[in-house]
Amino acid sequence: MNHAAYSALETTLAAPVITQGPPDIDYGLLSPMLVIFAAGVLGVLAEAFVPRARRRVTQLVLALGAVLLAFVLTVSLVGALPADGAGIVVAFATVAVDRPTLFLQGTILVLALASLLLIAEHGQEESSFAAQAAAVPGSEEEREHVLAGSQHTEVYPLVLFALLGMLLFPAANDFLTMFIALEVMSLPLYLLCGLARRRRLFSQEAAVKYFLLGAFSSAFFLFGIALVYGYAGSVNFADVAEAVAGGGAGVIANGEPLLLAGIALAGVGLLFKVGAVPFHNWKPDVYQGAPTPITALMASCTLVAAFGALLRVFYVPFGGSVWEWRPMMWVVAILTMVAAAVIAVTQRDIKRLLAYSSVVHAGFILTAVIAASPEGLAGAMFYLAAYGFTTVGAFAVVTLVRSREGGGEAGDLTQWAGLGRTSPVLAGALGLFLLAFAGIPLTSGFIGKFAVFEAAVAAGATPLVVIGVLSSAVTAFFYVRIIVLMFFAEPAEEGPRVLRPGGPTGVVIAVGVAATVFLGVYPGPVLDTMLPQPAEAEVAGEAPTDMFAR
Amino acid sequence: MLSVLAAHFVAAALAPFLVRWWGRNAFLALALVPAATTLWALLCAPGVVAGDPVGVNVAWAPEYRMSLAFRMDVLGLVMTLIAAGIGTLILVYCARYFSDDEPGLGRFAGVLTAFAGAMLGLVLADDLVQLFIFWELTTVFSYLLIGHNTERRESRRAAMTALTVTTLGGLTMLVGLIMLGEAAGTYLLSEIIAAPPRGAAVTVALVLILVGALSKSALLPFSLWLPAAMQAPTPVSGYLHAAAMVKAGVYLVARLTPAYGDTPAWQVLTVGVGVATMILAGWKALRQYDLKLLLAYGTVSQLGFLTALLGAGTRDAALAGIAMLCAHALFKAPLFLVVGIIDHSTGTRDLRELSGLRRSMPAVWWISVLAVASMAGLPPLFGFAAKESAFAAFEHGPAWQTLALVGMVVGTVFTVGYSLRFLWGAFLDKPEVPTTPVHAPGALFVAPAAVLAALSLLGGPFASALDPILAGYADTVPWGGAHPAHLALWHGFGTPLVLTAVCLAGGLLLFSRRGEVVWLGNRLALPDPNRIYRRVLAAVDTLAIQVTGITQRGSLPVYLGTTLVVLVVLSGVPILTGRLWEIEAPPVRLWDSPIQFVPAAVTVIAAVGVLFVRRRLFAVVLVGVTGYGAATLFMFQGAPDLALTQFLVETVSLVVFVLVLRRLPTRFTTPVLRGRRRINLLIGAATGTLVAVMAYFALAGRRAETISSGYPAAAEEAGGKNIISTILVDLRAWDTMGEISVLAVAAAGVASLMFVRRRARPVRGRMGVPVTPLPAISAVEPAGAPAEPNAVPWRPSGIAVAPRQLRIRPKWNPLWLPGAAALARERRSVIFEVTARGLFPVIVLLSVYLLLTGHTSIGGGFAGGIVAGLGLMVRYLAGGRYELYAAVHAQPGVLIGLGLVIAAGTALGGAVFGTEILDGGVFDLHIPVIGHLHVTTSLLFDFGVYLLVIGLILDILRSLGARIDEQLEREARDSAEAEEVTA
Repeated sequence: MNHAAYSALETTLAAPVITQGPPDIDYGLLSPMLVIFAAGVLGVLAEAFVPRARRRVTQLVLALGAVLLAFVLTVSLVGALPADGAGIVVAFATVAVDRPTLFLQGTILVLALASLLLIAEHGQEESSFAAQAAAVPGSEEEREHVLAGSQHTEVYPLVLFALLGMLLFPAANDFLTMFIALEVMSLPLYLLCGLARRRRLFSQEAAVKYFLLGAFSSAFFLFGIALVYGYAGSVNFADVAEAVAGGGAGVIANGEPLLLAGIALAGVGLLFKVGAVPFHNWKPDVYQGAPTPITALMASCTLVAAFGALLRVFYVPFGGSVWEWRPMMWVVAILTMVAAAVIAVTQRDIKRLLAYSSVVHAGFILTAVIAASPEGLAGAMFYLAAYGFTTVGAFAVVTLVRSREGGGEAGDLTQWAGLGRTSPVLAGALGLFLLAFAGIPLTSGFIGKFAVFEAAVAAGATPLVVIGVLSSAVTAFFYVRIIVLMFFAEPAEEGPRVLRPGGPTGVVIAVGVAATVFLGVYPGPVLDTMLPQPAEAEVAGEAPTDMFAR
Repeated sequence: MLSVLAAHFVAAALAPFLVRWWGRNAFLALALVPAATTLWALLCAPGVVAGDPVGVNVAWAPEYRMSLAFRMDVLGLVMTLIAAGIGTLILVYCARYFSDDEPGLGRFAGVLTAFAGAMLGLVLADDLVQLFIFWELTTVFSYLLIGHNTERRESRRAAMTALTVTTLGGLTMLVGLIMLGEAAGTYLLSEIIAAPPRGAAVTVALVLILVGALSKSALLPFSLWLPAAMQAPTPVSGYLHAAAMVKAGVYLVARLTPAYGDTPAWQVLTVGVGVATMILAGWKALRQYDLKLLLAYGTVSQLGFLTALLGAGTRDAALAGIAMLCAHALFKAPLFLVVGIIDHSTGTRDLRELSGLRRSMPAVWWISVLAVASMAGLPPLFGFAAKESAFAAFEHGPAWQTLALVGMVVGTVFTVGYSLRFLWGAFLDKPEVPTTPVHAPGALFVAPAAVLAALSLLGGPFASALDPILAGYADTVPWGGAHPAHLALWHGFGTPLVLTAVCLAGGLLLFSRRGEVVWLGNRLALPDPNRIYRRVLAAVDTLAIQVTGITQRGSLPVYLGTTLVVLVVLSGVPILTGRLWEIEAPPVRLWDSPIQFVPAAVTVIAAVGVLFVRRRLFAVVLVGVTGYGAATLFMFQGAPDLALTQFLVETVSLVVFVLVLRRLPTRFTTPVLRGRRRINLLIGAATGTLVAVMAYFALAGRRAETISSGYPAAAEEAGGKNIISTILVDLRAWDTMGEISVLAVAAAGVASLMFVRRRARPVRGRMGVPVTPLPAISAVEPAGAPAEPNAVPWRPSGIAVAPRQLRIRPKWNPLWLPGAAALARERRSVIFEVTARGLFPVIVLLSVYLLLTGHTSIGGGFAGGIVAGLGLMVRYLAGGRYELYAAVHAQPGVLIGLGLVIAAGTALGGAVFGTEILDGGVFDLHIPVIGHLHVTTSLLFDFGVYLLVIGLILDILRSLGARIDEQLEREARDSAEAEEVTA
């Protein structure tokens, strides 16, 4: 760059921030993300240079290895946090590494590992992904590719990049970093959604819908950031929090409306990602259209990441205006729990049903967000982990049940009749997952529900909890209906073909079952070691800012 | 204590195997577990009665103050004895009730044992959450038990009903429990009862808890599930629906009464609902023909009675209640077992078909007589003693208690009536019915019922012996204990005895008039709760379908519209309430000069017009017009550079659109309804206004000095006059580097999508078609003379697929646009070809000019590149795809790569020759002929951009233009061939 020119610019501007020498960044704290990023880049290179025959193995080893390594690093970072404070901010306070971050990142990584195993499943049947995504569906060309056994190994680096975004999303400590994380997370997902092997037009439609709606929501989020910046004069969470607490940063007089509109807009962006009503419309269509392993990834990891970001945004920068955003959240939470539960009753497709169930669960977690207390945070985080494992397991089961003709997944629930007779173990696992979704005791779902509802009651949101419970009764009704269908109905004439779970899928289902039961029966260790300890004397109604690094 | 509980679940897990080995006799082994529990409870009993509860507390999830806490006080002891004791007998009974080949017997045995464990955990739990967990476990297990006969639709439906109702109640209760726990600051029942919190929130919590309790105990209005649940095998009915599970609700009432018995809401709900249930269900029992249903309604009635007694909140009522609880378990369970025996031995439970069993099954008859006598409250049985003390407890109370007493008497009249109906219906001779054939039940089959009936008999005389034990619970109720009553068989002559006599007389009367009672009952029947329940379910279903239809249409515009509306509302509210317009902001200027109004109006009109046109092409053009309008505004604002770029980009995108639209239908396929269009218009306008307003005010918030004030000086320093260009290639060259890389990637993406056939050929696919060099075109005479209109148009051989390598030797060409010769005649236009040919050099020259002058005047590499690209576009449009191949001999990839290399090279050159990456330099050259030339290294950088942009446009033309041409031609050929074949 032209030095003279820059110095001219420099002299004109009041306060230049020019760094001399490399910035001082603690890369150790960022290592999990760096590992994932590096693996993603290596994956792209592998696409270019590794021979086609060995590409899948290379990618798989790379991706699984990276996720494992990142998980180990994340766990090791727990010890590196200061004992007294909440955590550390790194890279000029753009990233916060604190207990919530590490818990969520660890959860995301484990769930991503499970999703990767599903993605990699390639046993007796073909994978879930299109042989050649660019070929026109139904064309001769597509048939050729299918016969030739082509596969998209690009899926792995894409997943890794999405994963990078997911890791950064709940860790971001300023709005711009968060936005970047949002985009890094979303863009690969838009693409991955369109790669289903069966019903490809449907899948592509889902991808386009997701992309367009997602693009709009990102735009809203960005708009919100701009308004908040207008109010606080900064995008850094700590600065915004300070400005909010102090009634404005002195940037603009009577700027309250800017802040509130900013909260609303940023909130819309985040609520879209978690799929709360009325921003949930994409979820059923996309969950149904996307390849099931990708659906599993979105339903578990993306939800965790998005809620992590939502919690941080509403607890840290907007923590001082709890009383302003609470009414909005109340309405959204109630709508989410009621509407989604009611709609879910009519669903006849298992993936759509799980999508609506994910919307309902988002509503439950929102009740914990509304609590705005350490218990709320802890409850929401536990819920996320519990739900993530259960949902990954459930989608893993979905991948195994195929329809007789065509060999696609048997989405229609009528085909699931009598599954409990023909393959009891699989149906039993799904039954357990459904019971966990319903929140039946001794499953992780119950502890999670109890945690969020307890937090909400403690924060005085009892009506919300009553509605939540009613809605979970409605949801329990349709979960149980599936169980009844599987175990007590006569097997259908044209019953589905149940694949024997290959290694990876079997592992995922087993892990899902184990986690669901373990977290339900013996939640203590997880709560003890991973969750931030809630402060004893916390005043309800004030967001627990001290649990997050600032 | 924990081991006792664990034993149940271990036994449950083993049960399927035991059943597989030993058949139905496995139940005898399983019975050992509850038997041991009973024994253990009896051993603990002396200490417990002495006021020393047995307890254990293990931390479970301390973060949520959850623990595994068990505690056995007197109430717990009584319930444990009932649950475990009767459980033992039921399991023994099962060993003869089922046959070895009963389907699913192993699972049934396991679930039944597990249920016994859950019930035990429920009555021993000292932690609210744990209580709820066992509560739900009993629900789930009972669901499995009721649905045991899975083949029967009725059975499944009954199971579902029971589950739905009790789960709904259970969840409601959970809310109540959490509220109670939060209010008390502890989840330990014993601590809550020791120091009960008070207040409105606690009252709400109690009501919620009661909803759970009432639904579990099948009280009104939740009573529908219990009669339906009679689909279950008889042992299940005898255990769950007489002794154990339905008692859970009663137990919870009994548990909380010592703390909240004086709360009006508590009393009204328990006593009011209890007595109402007692009367209504008793009345309904009087007209049942199915023995089991008769008992079921009788149970509902008795449960109402128990709830009323235990919830009344006086010490004496509590004593009567717990005595009645024991009595009920002891008489109702054997009656169910008897029904099972009758069903088993005769094959029917319909009392209209049974006759003469009194003589054929004398043992069973006498057992029934004892149990029924206890149920009707005849001396000297346990039921009599309990009922007497119940009447006595309400004798001297305030008005509401007297009212309740009247209700209880009425209920008891009905009880006596249906007791007699049961006895008569099951055993006595009916003149019109022939004697029912039976096969005699075995001793072990009858024994459990006999034991229970004997206990009913013993309970009466020994009532006074039980008094100190049961009083251990009753004394915990702190109200109305001034003159504590005592349990005894004989209270002397008094009102209770008179009332009992009244009840017996009334019951006899009802029995003697049973025909009329049935008729009257049917006439006065309330709407069947089952139908209401199903209607509610159906209504939910319908509602769900409608809501789905409204919200989940699968239509992107609707989804987006919803989001936008919410957005406008969400952010509109703070704007309006916060009076955003009062914010300190620069005043709004309508325009700087009136001429700005013209493009703005055009833009708006075009934007609105897009909504109304039906042709895609027209819509695209209108969208383009909005872009041109914006560009014009830029120009008026004094930014010709920006305007130029915008114009060029708009033009390119318009052409790209047109190229793509060739493959789409001309009109939008689904016409937009007028109403919807208006709504869309409204939503769009609102969102646009919102965004504009917010953009304005967000900028108004700016206080820091804008960076743009420093640009002129900076541009001067960089040796340029055009600020935009200087920013692009100098001040922010790093950004430009990134952007052109993205452009390159985008180009690669577009191309790879279109050329997928070639670039990502399947491994086993055919080899590519060999490529002939292009100049062959010029050698071939144009074919397709007008004389042969049907002939296939001339195609240069071997180039039907875009070639991988196109090696072209430049050769002077006599034709103006040689490639145009490949076009069909009707597509060619001489004027267009001539104009294109003439314009092309001019356009290229202009582009080079823009490139060179970019640094000082309008222009720049980007604009120049686009202009050159437009030139190529014109040639392609005029001459077709072969003309395009002929026009630029280089592959687009090469151009893009070259552009990137040059840009990156300049950047690195800065590092090598200067001080850092992208460091620039200025050279003023004096070339003799041309004169003074002001050159900066950024020009080289700009040249890279220039090449890259040309490459990009070329790529677009090749993929979206030429490639689609190819497809079209291929399809036309295929269809022509198909026509030939059919011809």
